[in-house]
Amino acid sequence: MTERLHERAQRIRERLLVRAWEYRQRNYAKGVWHRLRRLLVDAAEVWIIDDIGAARLESAGHVPNPVGLELVPGKRVFLVDGIELNDIPGRRRIPVRMSADLLQARNLVLVPLSRTRRS
Amino acid sequence: MLVAGSEVPNLLEPGAGATLVVSQDVDVVVPVEVHGKIKQRLREMRGLTRSAEEPSVWLPSSAELLEVNFIGMDTAGKRAGETYVLEDSELPLLVFANLSLLRPGKVVTLEGMPVPLPRPAGLTLEKLITDRSGEKGDRDLLVALALLLVCEPSDRYELVDLYRTLQPELRYAARSGLAALSLLEPRAQMPDPTPHRSLLAGLLSDLEKVESER
Repeated sequence: MTERLHERAQRIRERLLVRAWEYRQRNYAKGVWHRLRRLLVDAAEVWIIDDIGAARLESAGHVPNPVGLELVPGKRVFLVDGIELNDIPGRRRIPVRMSADLLQARNLVLVPLSRTRRS
Repeated sequence: MLVAGSEVPNLLEPGAGATLVVSQDVDVVVPVEVHGKIKQRLREMRGLTRSAEEPSVWLPSSAELLEVNFIGMDTAGKRAGETYVLEDSELPLLVFANLSLLRPGKVVTLEGMPVPLPRPAGLTLEKLITDRSGEKGDRDLLVALALLLVCEPSDRYELVDLYRTLQPELRYAARSGLAALSLLEPRAQMPDPTPHRSLLAGLLSDLEKVESER
């Protein structure tokens, strides 16, 4: 009668092993997703910009966050004040979550929560 | 025993307002040391019958009642901290390791019936380190959000203190859960994380401070 309970307990124990592996991987490839989510937690807004806009930010001294460059293919993720973002044409706002749009974008701008634009 | 599922934030609202979460069942946490007493009380219960497929689940005989899921908690036994099956012909229990984070809290009286609840800090942390995926995992995280919305400031300090006691893997899981919660899409009949993202970012920052102190 308790067979199903034993199966559930076994599945939980197996997931704990996977969790332990993930923890050991936190500073390596597997951990990059946590690091990307962590960046997004502090973002009030996320915008997709094109290569020209990204080049403009870089020439203005903005350095892409290393997290985006760890991904393959890499993406440039900038943390930028919302006011500076106004100068970049063709930008497109997307929801702050791990969406297909976000994962496919080559260049992202995150506006930090504490510096949300007022527009 | 404690009522410790998604209905807890509802019951902690002023007047047990029940506006935060629509629960699908009721989780009743049975400390293994009172297992025998709970079995005795179950023999007197009306309106629920034990599921043939899941012996720790009791099914309602009318649509007005919710399914009850009995789960085990072991805080002081030899197997405390483990997930295991407590074998019993009448009420077998799946004892969850992470439920050992729960401590008795408020007792809410509903229509004359006392309902013992856990302290919000332990239950919030338990929900954040949930290792379920998909819909169930998201619901656990959204229940954690609902709990944070009814927390007193002292509950939040307690949560951080409790977090300090966890093993590194579980602390990492709590931070991951909080990050995932902050980015969840709104779901029907559950609280929307979007307007509360600053609260979640602040809590995550508090947990990270604990890491930097180590």
